[in-house]
Amino acid sequence: MRLPGTRYQEPGWEQVRKLLGQASVQVLRQLAPHELQDPALLDRYVDQTGALLHACRHTARAAADGNSYGDSVGELALSLLYELPGQPSYWQAFMATLETEFARSGAFWQEPACEGILRKKVNDLYAGLRDRLDADAYMVATGRDCSPNRIYTYRMLDTAYREIAALFADWQAHGMQVGAILGRELHGIPIEVRQMKSISGCKAEWVIAWSATLEQYGGAAGPLHTRSKRFASLKNSPQKIAAMLAEIGEYEQLSANQDSAEAFRSDAGEAGAWLEDYWRVVHESEQCEQRGDYHQADQLLAPPDEAEWMDGVDNEAERETAGQGQGEVAQAVIDAADEATRLIEQDRSSAVSLPPNYLQLARLAQHAGSRMLGILAQESLPIRLAVFHKLLGVADDSYPDVWLDPATGELPTLQQLAALDGISMPTLRKRRNEAIDKLYAARDSVAA
Amino acid sequence: MKPTITELEARLQEQLLLARAVPGDRLLLADATLLGALDGSRPLTPAERTALQASPLTLRRFRHLAQQRRSAAQGERKEHRSAGAGWHGSRGLLRAAATAAVLDTLRTEDGYWTLDFLQSEQGWRVILALVADAPFAALAVQQGWQVQVRDGAGSLILRGGLDGDGECECAWPHVAAPVQHFQQHGASFAVEPAGQD
Repeated sequence: MRLPGTRYQEPGWEQVRKLLGQASVQVLRQLAPHELQDPALLDRYVDQTGALLHACRHTARAAADGNSYGDSVGELALSLLYELPGQPSYWQAFMATLETEFARSGAFWQEPACEGILRKKVNDLYAGLRDRLDADAYMVATGRDCSPNRIYTYRMLDTAYREIAALFADWQAHGMQVGAILGRELHGIPIEVRQMKSISGCKAEWVIAWSATLEQYGGAAGPLHTRSKRFASLKNSPQKIAAMLAEIGEYEQLSANQDSAEAFRSDAGEAGAWLEDYWRVVHESEQCEQRGDYHQADQLLAPPDEAEWMDGVDNEAERETAGQGQGEVAQAVIDAADEATRLIEQDRSSAVSLPPNYLQLARLAQHAGSRMLGILAQESLPIRLAVFHKLLGVADDSYPDVWLDPATGELPTLQQLAALDGISMPTLRKRRNEAIDKLYAARDSVAA
Repeated sequence: MKPTITELEARLQEQLLLARAVPGDRLLLADATLLGALDGSRPLTPAERTALQASPLTLRRFRHLAQQRRSAAQGERKEHRSAGAGWHGSRGLLRAAATAAVLDTLRTEDGYWTLDFLQSEQGWRVILALVADAPFAALAVQQGWQVQVRDGAGSLILRGGLDGDGECECAWPHVAAPVQHFQQHGASFAVEPAGQD
């Protein structure tokens, strides 16, 4: 199923799920029980699982198509993993289920026999996360509200259509059921079977009737007829079903006719173009406020049905603290290391198989006048690189070549960076996260 | 070394704005509000601005609309160029009759354009006019094409956008009167889409 903005809803998802399960189980198997409480666990999990996924990106499974937009299974798995820290409630819920199970049956995740249980929990984690992300992406692409539940409903309807289509295709073998779906007795080939060429041709009444037949023909109640409340209201709203079926069909056709539904997304070199618009819009609004010439009422959207109203985040304090000390920063960034430091650096670089002058060159490739980098001036170079590692990934077209490990063409691994800095991995992670917090705190001042 | 540090900074900014965890985030501003801010017709109120800055999801929608707007503008420019592609330019010659002392109208060989010269108290003025039955006339007027005129030596005589009548007028840029100027500069002229340097 394709919908505007979504990436994780096509058949390739099965493989994405398996890949994430496989890698996660491998990482989580080694957890000590006390680590469940460790707030840094998520970070470690993402790093280690990411490394595993990265390492297997050329396997047949990872290289297979994950969707029809050109994302491979491996790429989708990685991008989903990297979204996890941005949606902490999913990880917290996952941890809570591990704790519950732990209270009941001990450190089950270490038992090979319980691998299935762990895998199932990981599945649930990512199944929820993908619908959240796709719901968000749908909102971004359409400007209309959406929720994970709604995505789930679209998918249920898409599946229903496929099953109905399969029954229609083999109508002779399923005469009774097809008759029940169409609401009449069959005499010869029903015309509907020929007419339904895509999901757009599927009638809401058929979906409802099909669901009702499942108890008798499929052995279990259909999705609209279970006791679960999830789709309870939908059963009585054929218009709603019809609209959703039509939407899936329309977009399927639209996206099949275009090379890419979002062609403008990847105009290389224009990543920052919209930021100019953003700063201009913010600036115009601030100027307007200063002049005091506001004559319109606020046009804030009311929350949709069940969603809670978001607390307005007050960035005033953040704005004040940011923007200080940017002048001396440039100095610090290019601050040449003295001879002794340089020798230590060379040793450390060689020890992790990087060119001896790696740090020296990488340091020179930083832009002295950059305000963003200025904010990180107090951090060591490895920490700064770890920040990029985390925020933009191991490879990004915007990285200077000398930042990359010649052996991999990517940023050094976190282990390498920790060794370069002469610190442990947990310390590196901690400092990196602190540095990222500083950037977040400063972002609005840089925009101004 | 790639001199792309600005791009790097832009990518970093983008991440900081968009990849934040905001529990319960949702669309806080309608498309109409965002588009009004984007085209400058209605700046965001302080509360709306705060909402935009506090909601990565709303920001992502903003980015989407901003990019759509930019690519639409780009598409228009392309269309503009390709619409003009049917017409790449027209050339005209100083006809024998025009070698008289006074020059009042020149016409391109394809008949699409005329150049008129008017003498006023302030000096000569030159008017480029698109003939109404040129195949691209309606589009050119509707889109207000930017066009320019060069003399036979290639120097610019006029540049500007077509008005609603398909005309573009400016002061004669040379000291010599039009007829003498053209005679000294190749006795020909060219009308072409502006910006062909």
